[in-house]
Amino acid sequence: MSNKVYIDGSMGEGGGQVLRSSLALSLITGKSLEMKNIRAGRKKPGLLRQHLTCIKAAKEICEATTSGDSLRSMELTLAPDKVKAGDYHFSVGSAGSAILVLQTILPPLILAEGKSTIVLEGGTHNPMAPPFHFLEKCFIPLLNKMGAKVSMNLESWGFYPAGGGRFTVEIEPTTKLRPLEVLDRGELLAKELNVISANIPAEIIQKEVEILKDKLNWDKINEVSKVNSPGPGNIIMTELKFKNSTELISEIGSKGTRAQIVANKLIRKVNKFLTQEAPVGEYLADQLLLPFALAEAGSFWCTTISSHTHTNIEVIKKFLDVHIETKEYKKGALVTIN
Amino acid sequence: MKKVLIGLLGVSLDMGTRENRWERWRPTVSLFQHDDLLIDRFELLSQARFRKLASTVSEDIEQVSPETKLNEHLVEFKDPWDFEEVYAALYDFARDYDFRDDEEYYIHITTGTHVAQICLFLLTESNHFPAKLIQASPSKKNRDSIGTYNIIDLDLSRYEVLANRFQDEIVESQALLKAGIATKDESFNKLIERIEKVSLRSAAALLLTGPTGAGKSQLAKKVYELRKQKHQLTGSFVEVNCATLRGDAAMSTLFGHKKGAFTGAITDRAGLLKEAEGGLLFLDEIGELGLDEQAMLLRALEDKSFMPMGSDSLVTSHFQLICGTNRSLQKSIKEGLFREDLLARINIWNFELPGLKDRAADIEPNIDHELKKFANDSGRVLRFNVESKNQYLKFATSADATWQGNFRDLNASIHRMATLADTARIGSETVQEEIDLLKNQWHASGRDKDMDVLSSVLDDAELSLIDPFDKPQLANVVLVCRDSRSMAEAGRKLYAVSRQTKKVANDSDRLKKYLAKFSLSWEKVVANS
Repeated sequence: MSNKVYIDGSMGEGGGQVLRSSLALSLITGKSLEMKNIRAGRKKPGLLRQHLTCIKAAKEICEATTSGDSLRSMELTLAPDKVKAGDYHFSVGSAGSAILVLQTILPPLILAEGKSTIVLEGGTHNPMAPPFHFLEKCFIPLLNKMGAKVSMNLESWGFYPAGGGRFTVEIEPTTKLRPLEVLDRGELLAKELNVISANIPAEIIQKEVEILKDKLNWDKINEVSKVNSPGPGNIIMTELKFKNSTELISEIGSKGTRAQIVANKLIRKVNKFLTQEAPVGEYLADQLLLPFALAEAGSFWCTTISSHTHTNIEVIKKFLDVHIETKEYKKGALVTIN
Repeated sequence: MKKVLIGLLGVSLDMGTRENRWERWRPTVSLFQHDDLLIDRFELLSQARFRKLASTVSEDIEQVSPETKLNEHLVEFKDPWDFEEVYAALYDFARDYDFRDDEEYYIHITTGTHVAQICLFLLTESNHFPAKLIQASPSKKNRDSIGTYNIIDLDLSRYEVLANRFQDEIVESQALLKAGIATKDESFNKLIERIEKVSLRSAAALLLTGPTGAGKSQLAKKVYELRKQKHQLTGSFVEVNCATLRGDAAMSTLFGHKKGAFTGAITDRAGLLKEAEGGLLFLDEIGELGLDEQAMLLRALEDKSFMPMGSDSLVTSHFQLICGTNRSLQKSIKEGLFREDLLARINIWNFELPGLKDRAADIEPNIDHELKKFANDSGRVLRFNVESKNQYLKFATSADATWQGNFRDLNASIHRMATLADTARIGSETVQEEIDLLKNQWHASGRDKDMDVLSSVLDDAELSLIDPFDKPQLANVVLVCRDSRSMAEAGRKLYAVSRQTKKVANDSDRLKKYLAKFSLSWEKVVANS
């Protein structure tokens, strides 16, 4: 494979995911990245602030040289140097998701030489990104099973639009990720529902809890009000803990959306996952692809493969010489890397 | 380029220090929450008494926009509705601020009183803030606290829709200057384009040069109409031909007089300069103005004030000046007939109007225009036959048609034909008659011209010895000589046909002999030009 990789940013859904995966893979492989048509066809095409922060972070951990890394730019080149482990601090503006920044730099730092500590500031529980707890509960445990040692610690919560969340990530690297198979959930060990809020009138949250209690006959429905956050925010998170894997399903409450609607949406998703058998949900499948490809072997059974995941596979194949096979498997799909 | 935002703290719109402030739209903070707008530096202008709010807003901006560097400035005014005070405070800030070429500036006009917004606008429009305006607005459905923003560039030429409107307006203005005649001559149209631009952007003096009848007076009037239409002039159009101003009357006509200033000054008279106050004064044939009047006029132009005859107090008058001339003022200066300093004053913009002969393509549209004018004046609508029109046009654009009187000749010619036409059509016969008349007229004036030329090289006694047969030829020879750099060149032109059949080209010699017949030499002919 050549030392320069061309990525058409408009491939698949053409979102920021293509950019983040490309950045991570460029840093890991040391291959230069040349991207065109970044976020073409979107309402606001080109790079937005949160994407610039991802590029900035990628640039900083490997002292890359870049061009085109400016607002609304639709082209980007990045020539990476060796990834350096260390202490880093990144802040995302416009209450963008700090989780997405982590997604860009976590895989390269897992394979770097040395321990890293990253402080991230910005949104931790954003509408269009996986929440902090999804990574902490679902993704990181599997990653650690593959040989990495990653831990995450939330200091304050950042909701849209005020942001202001903060968390640290400790990374002890590994030279090579071990292949893993996630083919069986195992028995359901626990199900827990947390209603989180910050700076929101108590009666609104109380109503939400009542609706959930009424519809889900669960033992553990916790109301955790008044978490540490500078702005107002509300999220309901359901943790389904199985023997071999964990799924976290969440729904964000926003101003102007009725508690009833938020609760109904969440319950529908939770019930659907409970009736299925595959251990890996749609979003986790997306996250697992890259580490599995880096391990160069392994397989997982997921509930569905989204177009997002397909695009991600395309991007990975541009950088890595791996074979990724997807096939329908028992009301879901089986993804095999070899 | 770095983006720098300058904005006033919105003491009501940006209000809120409790957590629920994030649920409200706060214009200043909102500008830092957009994912497609990144402000590298923010200059927050506020007052000491709002320190607490300013610091909350600053902290919130730091939170949602860690990329932004923040500077706070105290810009004090007691009464935010006092225009003078607010303008002065913002003006001082703009004056002291170090604007750099490698940064892009945005002035936030959503916050502050309406007076402050007006001041920010004015200072931006006048480029004291070399910036674009930025306006924040709340979300329409009031669903999120971020809303939208608009960037307004006051450089209007950047807006396509506006540019089209302006283009239409320019076309209209030019049509007005051309008196609605769809002229086709390219260089004339370019001239009008330029005059349109200059007249609307500047009130400086214009000097219109060109042969008599080229339309100087008409154009001056149209410039006035255009500027009046655009509300750039409030006064009236005042026109005078300086050739008609002689003696005491000249001074008093231009500058006015007090009752009893001279014999016959029975009442006060304002004078044309005063009459033109706020309007436009057209001084045609400015070269004919006497030296005393020139001196007075110069002073009036420099000081915008002058002394009427017999008065001991100054009168002021602001007006736009257009001068017309068909003679070379440079030449008049050399002859001591015109003041050089006055020319410099009135010659800021010089437009030379070509004669009709040099605008062959415009003869047809002008014929149509003259017919329309005739119809308006007389109530008779007349047209040419296809044939007769071609006949007339053929002559009008031929070398035979010298159009010495320019548009005056054309106007009279059309008027005559229209009057003589028995039906609604101007026929071939009428046209032929008119062509003969014009030829005669121009020939006659040509004869006068020949005499002028000849009397410049021969005295009356010598002239009386020359046959009428020889006069036009000799006059032409003299003119060709004067137009040539050497006798050889003149000879080549004059014997252009016959020299081709000669074995030896002896043009100079032939010319020398021809001149000698009239006791003339090359030197004498050229010296008296």
